[in-house]
Amino acid sequence: MSLGILILILGFLTLGGFFLGRLRAVSMVDYDARKLHSLPNFYGGMVAIFIALPAFFVLCAWTLLQPVLIEQRVISNIAIVDITEGSNRTLVMADVRRIAEGLDRALALGGLSEQDLLKFDTTQSDANALLATAGVALGGEVQPSVFDAARHYRLTSKSAQLVMFVCVLSVALLGFALAYRRISAQMRARNVVEAVVLWGLVAASMVAILTTVGIIASMLFEAYNFFKMYPILEFFTSPVWNPQFSGGSELGILPLLWGTLYVSFVALVVAVPTGLFAAIYLSEYAGPKLRATAKPAIEILAGIPSIVYGLFALVTIGPMLRDYFARPLGLGDSSSSVITAGLAMGIMLIPFISSLSDDIINAVPQNLRDGSYALGATQSETIRQVVLPAALPGIVGAVLMGASRAIGETMIVVLGAGASAKLSINPFDAMTTITVKIVSQLTGDTEFNSPETLVAFALGLTLFVFTLLLNIAALAIVRKYREQYE
Amino acid sequence: MNNMIFLERNVQVEKNKIAAQGVQVFYGENHALKDVNVDILDKTVTAFIGPSGCGKSTFLRCLNRMNDTIAGCRIVGDIRLDGEDIYEAAVDPVQLRAKVGMVFQKPNPFPKSIYDNVAYGPKIHGLSRSKAELDEIVETSLRRAALWNEVKDRLHAGAIGLSGGQQQRLCIARAIATGPEVLLMDEPCSALDPIATAQVEQLIDELRSRYSVVIVTHSMQQAARVSQRTAFFHMGNLVEYGETGHIFTNPSDPRTESYITGRIG
Amino acid sequence: MTNDAKATFTSIKNPDARTKKRNAAEKRFRAYGLLAVAVSVVALLFLLSSIWTKGSGAFYQTYLTVPVTMSAEKLDPKGNRDPDEMKKVTTIGYSKLIAQNLIDQLAVNGLDTSNVSDKNIAKLLSSESAATLRNQVLADPKLVGQTQIFTFLASGRIDGYFKGRVTMESAALDNNTSPAQLVIADEMKNIGILSIKFNWKFLSAPDASELRPEAAGLGVAILGSAYMMLVVLGLALPLGVAASIYLEEFATKNRWTDVIEVNVSNLAAVPSIVFGILGLAIFINIGGLPQSASIVGGLVLTLMTLPTVIISTRASLQAVPPSIRDGALAVGASKMQSVFHHVLPLAMPGIMTGTIIGVARALGETAPLLLIGMVAFVRDFPASPPSGFFDPATALPVQVYQWTQRADPAFTERASGAIIVLLGFLLVLNSVAIFLRSRFERRW
Repeated sequence: MSLGILILILGFLTLGGFFLGRLRAVSMVDYDARKLHSLPNFYGGMVAIFIALPAFFVLCAWTLLQPVLIEQRVISNIAIVDITEGSNRTLVMADVRRIAEGLDRALALGGLSEQDLLKFDTTQSDANALLATAGVALGGEVQPSVFDAARHYRLTSKSAQLVMFVCVLSVALLGFALAYRRISAQMRARNVVEAVVLWGLVAASMVAILTTVGIIASMLFEAYNFFKMYPILEFFTSPVWNPQFSGGSELGILPLLWGTLYVSFVALVVAVPTGLFAAIYLSEYAGPKLRATAKPAIEILAGIPSIVYGLFALVTIGPMLRDYFARPLGLGDSSSSVITAGLAMGIMLIPFISSLSDDIINAVPQNLRDGSYALGATQSETIRQVVLPAALPGIVGAVLMGASRAIGETMIVVLGAGASAKLSINPFDAMTTITVKIVSQLTGDTEFNSPETLVAFALGLTLFVFTLLLNIAALAIVRKYREQYE
Repeated sequence: MNNMIFLERNVQVEKNKIAAQGVQVFYGENHALKDVNVDILDKTVTAFIGPSGCGKSTFLRCLNRMNDTIAGCRIVGDIRLDGEDIYEAAVDPVQLRAKVGMVFQKPNPFPKSIYDNVAYGPKIHGLSRSKAELDEIVETSLRRAALWNEVKDRLHAGAIGLSGGQQQRLCIARAIATGPEVLLMDEPCSALDPIATAQVEQLIDELRSRYSVVIVTHSMQQAARVSQRTAFFHMGNLVEYGETGHIFTNPSDPRTESYITGRIG
Repeated sequence: MTNDAKATFTSIKNPDARTKKRNAAEKRFRAYGLLAVAVSVVALLFLLSSIWTKGSGAFYQTYLTVPVTMSAEKLDPKGNRDPDEMKKVTTIGYSKLIAQNLIDQLAVNGLDTSNVSDKNIAKLLSSESAATLRNQVLADPKLVGQTQIFTFLASGRIDGYFKGRVTMESAALDNNTSPAQLVIADEMKNIGILSIKFNWKFLSAPDASELRPEAAGLGVAILGSAYMMLVVLGLALPLGVAASIYLEEFATKNRWTDVIEVNVSNLAAVPSIVFGILGLAIFINIGGLPQSASIVGGLVLTLMTLPTVIISTRASLQAVPPSIRDGALAVGASKMQSVFHHVLPLAMPGIMTGTIIGVARALGETAPLLLIGMVAFVRDFPASPPSGFFDPATALPVQVYQWTQRADPAFTERASGAIIVLLGFLLVLNSVAIFLRSRFERRW
């Protein structure tokens, strides 16, 4: 009995309960709906909720817990001795699952019947051959106990599924009975329904918290695993990044941190003056026509995904800089470099800085400008000596947020900055960043539980904390600044 | 009208400082000011009175070309400062505004120190050649604005921390620091409490010995207290202009009388 | 100071030296501002034109028109037109057949192929062509024995020749082609056997291997992205609106709601790669969902888009004036009815705009998808929903990334072309958002 059918049945029950509940409410008042406390639909809705919600929770909980519990029981039955070298419980469990699936398929293909399966004796017949016909390939000979475990797993899963089915449906019917009985003309069905909806809304807002908790917890957990394998002090202080497939890697964050900060610095050097001056011009000097065309044009830059900038850096900016600057000046020979990625990232950040600055400059009250003009100051003097100093905290906040975005950016540096971890001053050198290494270590071929892979979580945690601190600082500065004018 | 105080100081110089002829102002299609003719005298306090929206602030802002900053504002007519047409092409508004200062309705000190607020004007116009000179200008301006004694110990404190009345006097000091000859004041006391108002009114009276002051005010009593000449605006027209005493006791135009007696406005 | 008893007259006409200097400084300052605006606009134009010139070629492809006699003895030796039997003839057999037909056709048309070996003539065709023909024949065995005109893809190098990537000089050094082959290709074009046509397959075909850039298409990527956007829309919109309604209308202003608000604004600024890490650790490792599946990508992108939706929804709800709520309450509606019947419909345009912009941003995200396993080569289209959500898939930006990692320069053209498609989708989405905003948004 598949999950889909169960959900379908539940759906029908819910719908049926809705109509029955509504009918009962209305019939209780001789079909004069005005005598009811709430609209008839609320009575129906109440019944529907009582049917669907508890059953849904039971279904979810069961589906989540069932595999875990069954696997625990099955795995305890497999003798230690049968776990071959080089594997462990998890791998064996994976084999069990695959064998069970294969048996399902073999049965479906018609080559085997349930009776045959029960009688199947691994000492006599070849389990591997049987499974091969069903399309399951295994690494070695199938151990008898593993095969038995697979059979056991199948049967237990099937019966557990049946029990779940019964439980869920009975909970649904129980809910129906409870709700149906409570229907009366004075019953405040609407309040019940609205209370449930309110809890739904609260649950939705919890998702934000859960996400943050999830991010921190997942990274902390794996980073902790990593630091069990690799000394934490060395991670934060070693200037060498050299992961080796076979072990013995040196995993120091310093070269990556340097690359990140260097690229972000170049990006900000490009973006901040350009964005700030563009914002100043567009809000203080530009006429309505120029503002109407230039502002959307700059906003388009903001909507372009970072992969586009990455490709632009890789195929256009990189070769251009290499051919016209790096080679002639003898500074480098690579089209991937800090300055390539920094330039592309800077262009990406221009609209970010520009629109934030624009908001901040417009927030400076007009009467300050009037006071300055009335004293005979030119517009540029007013901007330089009155408006910008007044807007300075906000602009600092905007720069910090821009830095935070630059530090967290991935695709531009993956495609534009290269993969070699270096501590170099030459901007035409290829230098990699934290984000690039997170991607490369997590998508590489190393085993998951090795330090080379888990280091990505430590890197991610560092990145997260860094950007979080920058964001908090930026928001604090901007908030303090807003208080000045309110 | 018995509780109005008439100031009977001698008006020392009767020279024409600003002469306006046939001034009209359009905000886009809106004909905000119609045919204003008025002469502002030197070393005199001239008050512009009238109900809300009658154009008095608009006309005030024409006198230092602050209306230039408003898009869609068009000015027709002749305004002469010391005989020179201020709307001529050769005139740089920057220099005009060094000569004609303005104080606004809501005090607008810059978020800088008290010293820097007052020093801002002289600095950009290059009026001082040394720090000592600048200090002197700042002190003189603050003294003339009757603020020196209250702030002399905290010149480098933030100007935002002053009270409303102090802030407005600071703005006056700031306007004076550029050495103007005319001071325009757009309802300078309307955002202040009565005590601060009294202080500023006293200050205006002292200022008149050095500057030509034009003050826009909502309060007839204030106009009567501080000014020697009064101009009554109504619906974009300058209805009557003359000696303050005369306007308030024996107005020539029936509209003026209606406003004075409170029937309109 | 000029303002003492000795009234010195200062003219306001004709700016003095200092004013002239200040005005010059003013002009310079203005120029810097204009320069900054110009730099930004020029950068945008440079970016777009660079992508366009590099990528527009992907929409055109070189094809060869060859009449192929599907001889029964080669394709169906047993003669019973049974597809299962005919499957035994591999693509090698088909490619030999096509090559022979091509050589025959060239001879018929009088082209001199003496300085090019037969094998190299065959190389003018894409290696994809044999597979295409085989699939067609197996689907319709009646074709065996007939002669039909087929249009096959030309090989990547030939295509590159007509697009300017490959020249006679580079062909001399290239292992995969030779100048003689290019000469023949030119002659074939003159006769009409070879043509360059609009390449619809770029949008519908799945990805192809490294050796066949000419056959690579975006079909799987577009479908994968579509699935993920469905998931994002289906999850982020209700969750985001529900959370915002709670925070904005029902929650009392206490520490707990402050915490949630701080959380939301922090999450909005978290780098996208962190969400990828979260997806890997929780959805794949703990949740056991399949790697590289659209559902996982959709969930990760939902979590990423949720803060944006919440922030813009809250702004829309705040924009509805309190008088509307008061009016509803005054006729006896409950708080919830006033929100759902009155406030929410009025805020809907702003909510939709914010959501569409959030979805557009999610469409272009790459880094989190790489971390949940979308680095593999996916050639099969995911099945239809709901099970299709669990099939391995790829997304448009991820496909772009994968193509940039391949050595053949033809893939640069493909990647740029894919970006043109991506930008096209984004343009449509943003235009819809702007249209919604201008048409339906109220100004209170």
